[in-house]
Amino acid sequence: MKMVILPKESLPEFIGHLCPFGELHVPVKVSEKSYAFGRVNDLSDIELNYTRTILPLKKYVFKPVDVMFNFCAATGYETTVEETDAKRVIFGVHPCDIHGLKILDLVFGGKYVDGYYSARRNKAAIVGMDCIPDEFCFCRSTGTDFVDTGFDLFLSDIGASYLVRVGTSLGDDMIRAADSLLREVQEQDRQAYKRRSTQRRESFQTEVQLQELPEIMDLEYDSEVWRRVGDKCLSCGTCSMVCPTCYCYAVFDELDLAGGSGRRQRRWDSCLFKDYALVAGGHNFRPDRDSRIKNRYFHKQRGFVSQHGRPSCVGCGRCKVYCLVGIDIVEVIKELRSEIRV
Amino acid sequence: MAKPKVGTYGLTGCAGDQLVIINCEDELLEIAGALDIKSFSMAASGGDEDCPLDIVFVEGTVVQPEDERVLRWLRERAELLVAIGTCAVWGGLPAMKNEMRPEELRMSVYGPEGNTFQCVSPRPLSSFVKVDLAIPGCPVEKEQLLQGVASLLHGDLPQLPTYAVCTDCKMAEYPCLLVEQGWLCLGPITEAGCKARCPGYGRPCIGCRGPVQDANIASEVQVLQEKGFTWLDIQNRLWTFAAPAESLKIDFLKEGANA
Ligand code: SF4
Ligand code: SF4
Ligand code: SF4
Ligand code: SF4
Repeated sequence: MKMVILPKESLPEFIGHLCPFGELHVPVKVSEKSYAFGRVNDLSDIELNYTRTILPLKKYVFKPVDVMFNFCAATGYETTVEETDAKRVIFGVHPCDIHGLKILDLVFGGKYVDGYYSARRNKAAIVGMDCIPDEFCFCRSTGTDFVDTGFDLFLSDIGASYLVRVGTSLGDDMIRAADSLLREVQEQDRQAYKRRSTQRRESFQTEVQLQELPEIMDLEYDSEVWRRVGDKCLSCGTCSMVCPTCYCYAVFDELDLAGGSGRRQRRWDSCLFKDYALVAGGHNFRPDRDSRIKNRYFHKQRGFVSQHGRPSCVGCGRCKVYCLVGIDIVEVIKELRSEIRV
Repeated sequence: MAKPKVGTYGLTGCAGDQLVIINCEDELLEIAGALDIKSFSMAASGGDEDCPLDIVFVEGTVVQPEDERVLRWLRERAELLVAIGTCAVWGGLPAMKNEMRPEELRMSVYGPEGNTFQCVSPRPLSSFVKVDLAIPGCPVEKEQLLQGVASLLHGDLPQLPTYAVCTDCKMAEYPCLLVEQGWLCLGPITEAGCKARCPGYGRPCIGCRGPVQDANIASEVQVLQEKGFTWLDIQNRLWTFAAPAESLKIDFLKEGANA
């Protein structure tokens, strides 16, 4: 893999060179404690010292609400995929969120390609950046604390500079455009990169064992744990909205008053909602909260493993940080494993 | 197809929901084109008050015996009855003091002069008549109202959100006021549809759209208590817009308040 060194003082200029590759989206501070990816007028508003944004990158490639097609009784229907946004460069993406995208790729880009997703995905350039975990991060346990693929460029903080890894030919074009700012990797950079690697590894405060978890979950299908979290859960949907790998959506039509025309839309859905598993005839497969929250865990940690060989959770900690009643995924897993009792 | 005959009426309320209809400026011509409006006293006098109606939109709460009479009369006249606004759907603000006897409340507001009119414990339309479609909101959201009309014109009922305000709040990526600031936000138990308007302005949700289906009130109350709110704070907030709602009539609220 091609690697170069970018001195930190050249970062603003470097970001300037990325702009011709697409609309720049960067982490910004949106409140005392929260961050979000968005546009900035002034490069000094970029907040690189963030841990997680409220919403992950899925908001760019799988919009919260999206028009799928317009329909009209007289003229048929027309899809809106072609109208999707222009190119974007998303800068400062942490490894867990890159893995989140890779998991969405499995789902939306697999056997049945989702055109709405792939149109936007193909136009999104990803410039990653490494990070130091906080107490909520457990991406080391999910194997998503590091990326080998899934980025065009990836910057690791090695003190006075960034070590820049080039992941794609687009990334190569990017560093060529910024050639004058970059230099070759030298001995002290090699040593600094290795120190950074150790420092990151040693910074993890949260660890959870995911090996054999699918079997343990099957064995603990009727565990008391589900009742306890089900009693607390508000079914508010927050955890699904903020999760990088929750990808369910609901489809609905919006009609025009004049009649005979309208729009088919889709909107993020959540298996925590009461009517998620409601079917025609009025039967609900998961009428109570215990079974719904259990479903969320089973899909992430068990069903996805059977289907794709790994859990879909990337350890970003969002569902724990933003859960209003403090339901903690790590705690739930440890309880199922009987490592702790609450 | 003949245009459906429609009437719009207000019981006790602020007329804010009828005003939303009038404020649909861009769509008014379309609305007028699609519906045969027989009566809409807020917009025009001299309506037809006897004809049968296909759809009647009713705003406001039953607060006086006269409201109940009007409501039953409208129900008989109309094929479909649509409750618009939180007063009609849940009882709304008029019901916020339902734990007091109506006479006592009237006395405390109007004094002895208030004796000239009768009042009952305010209750939503559905506790008197069958409601075919309920569109909450204080006032109703214009988009939901228009979608409601469009669906009814297509012989269908609209799909209103069955999830909570938090979902919209997170879809819009607003920072959480309950988690981050520890504020008393009713987003988790309030029906979505306003696109989390208040959190979008940095203000907590006060529940003006009424409780979402399957709201977990017990857990919401517990988390608010943990944030340091008193029983009275919580009870007042919960009962501001939807006191008559079954899910909010919880004994532990009263027990807690007395404790
Ligand atoms: S389940 Fe929670 S920790 Fe795992 S990816 Fe989703 S939001 Fe992040
Ligand atoms: S964020 Fe918490 S309370 Fe809300 S649905 Fe998820 S687990 Fe339940
Ligand atoms: S601010 Fe209120 S509505 Fe938004 S997520 Fe937090 S509790 Fe829910
Ligand atoms: S956020 Fe809550 S109080 Fe504000 S408009 Fe929406 S439902 Fe009403």
